[in-house]
Amino acid sequence: MSSKPQALTSIGPMRAFAANSKKIAVELIEINENLVGFNQYMTEYYKQLSNTWGIAQKKVNLKAPKIPQDAEQIEAVKRIWIDIFDNDFTELFDSKKFGNNYGNLVSKELELTKHWNNITNVILQSVNLPSKEEIDEVYKEIHSLKKRVSKLELELKKEKRKNAK
Amino acid sequence: MLNESRIDPKIIEEVLKFSKNVIDAPKFVSAPDEINLEVTPHKVVQEIDKTRLLYYKPVIETKHKTPLLISYALINRFHILDIHPEKSWVRNLLEQGFEVYMLDWGTPTSMDKYLDFDDYVNGYLDSSIEFIKNKSSTEKISLQGYCTGATIATAYTALHPENVKNYIATAPVIDGWKDTTVISNLAKHMDADKMVDTIGNMPPEFMYYCFSVLKPFEQGIEKYIKFFKNIDDKKFVDNFLRVEKWLGDTPPIPGELFKQWIKDIYQENLLIQNKMYVADQLIDLKKIDMPMFTQVAVGDHLVSPECSMPLHYAVGSTDKTLKIYPTGHVGMIASSLSQKKVLPEMGKWLAERS
Repeated sequence: MSSKPQALTSIGPMRAFAANSKKIAVELIEINENLVGFNQYMTEYYKQLSNTWGIAQKKVNLKAPKIPQDAEQIEAVKRIWIDIFDNDFTELFDSKKFGNNYGNLVSKELELTKHWNNITNVILQSVNLPSKEEIDEVYKEIHSLKKRVSKLELELKKEKRKNAK
Repeated sequence: MLNESRIDPKIIEEVLKFSKNVIDAPKFVSAPDEINLEVTPHKVVQEIDKTRLLYYKPVIETKHKTPLLISYALINRFHILDIHPEKSWVRNLLEQGFEVYMLDWGTPTSMDKYLDFDDYVNGYLDSSIEFIKNKSSTEKISLQGYCTGATIATAYTALHPENVKNYIATAPVIDGWKDTTVISNLAKHMDADKMVDTIGNMPPEFMYYCFSVLKPFEQGIEKYIKFFKNIDDKKFVDNFLRVEKWLGDTPPIPGELFKQWIKDIYQENLLIQNKMYVADQLIDLKKIDMPMFTQVAVGDHLVSPECSMPLHYAVGSTDKTLKIYPTGHVGMIASSLSQKKVLPEMGKWLAERS
């Protein structure tokens, strides 16, 4: 008799949500930890961009006349500016330090997404909807079945062609 | 004494004209929906999942027996090969008397995240070739691959050489370690497993970021200045908008395919070392023994010539030609140079072998 009220609440969303709410708290704590790393790489990203900008601008200042006097000179300064900036920024984007930092930045962003997915999964499960992993399993199964059917169809076509000769 | 103004009146005139052009721009520019990128008449002859096999209507009587299938890249859409009647790769080949097919990979959705190299090579491409062989009653076809589409075509040609009479590799992505582009630097430092496990397919937004770091000032500023300066030149504006529309339409890349791509080509560089597997089949480039034509562009900042050229030396073909053009990745396929030099040279080579 005493278990009946509990049984009644077990079909509603709150019980499932309450049982998993600890997971949400853990995810939120981890998101905060990730954000620290993310900000670190983001700061480095903008530092690399602004340093490159500063160096490129100095090079332009040395090459270009102080105040362009006519339309041709403006065009020439613009060309110098674009060439130097494109060269310096391409050199940066092509460097190991940029590649490393950018890779880490994207990686941290993906970790944040993963935590967000996990939180969403808790909510989805509380209303009896499939989680991302469960949907992925369905996609995988569909893919595998389609692949098998396609291969069989293709083999059949090849066989028919061979027999028709 | 008054200070004499030293500003060149031409500068003021140019600034005023430029401002007027910016204001007038909406009058001259069509909405993206109004621009049709599928220029040359064609029909869809086969559809599998989201892929479509296109057959282009001949413009003259077909002169060559062997049909040509183009395997376009996975980045952006195939429209660049038929972007404008005067710069259409497809139309030029039709005018040379070739029978042309194109494989449109379509736009994958989240559901397609498990599509891999095997699906593209032994599934979609093999099915298309089988279809063409049946329709044309030929045992072999000519295959052309462009950019990442050439990597898929290369894998196919190595695995099924019996189906390919001639192979044309245009800016193929082959030797990831030798690639000197910014794209390869980003790819080498990417955690592809984490990306695919977390978000499924490679999102188009990531590709847009990659485009934005390629010559950012020429492409991000100068290009638009030129556009507004030439706003009253109908031909220039039409061409510009077509390319812009094409640039803004890149589909996602299926997760599993992307993962294998980044790891096997850019990070571990397995393809050129004959160590890459598609499903359980080893890709041995020496098995490519048919006539082969490789096209690379010196100014290619998406796939550097150092990344493409090793294919020419790695294959088993004895009849092989390497052509290097003074242009860029897109210039090689959709420019006046491609119409005047690249296509006539390729057509001549192909005609002699078709």
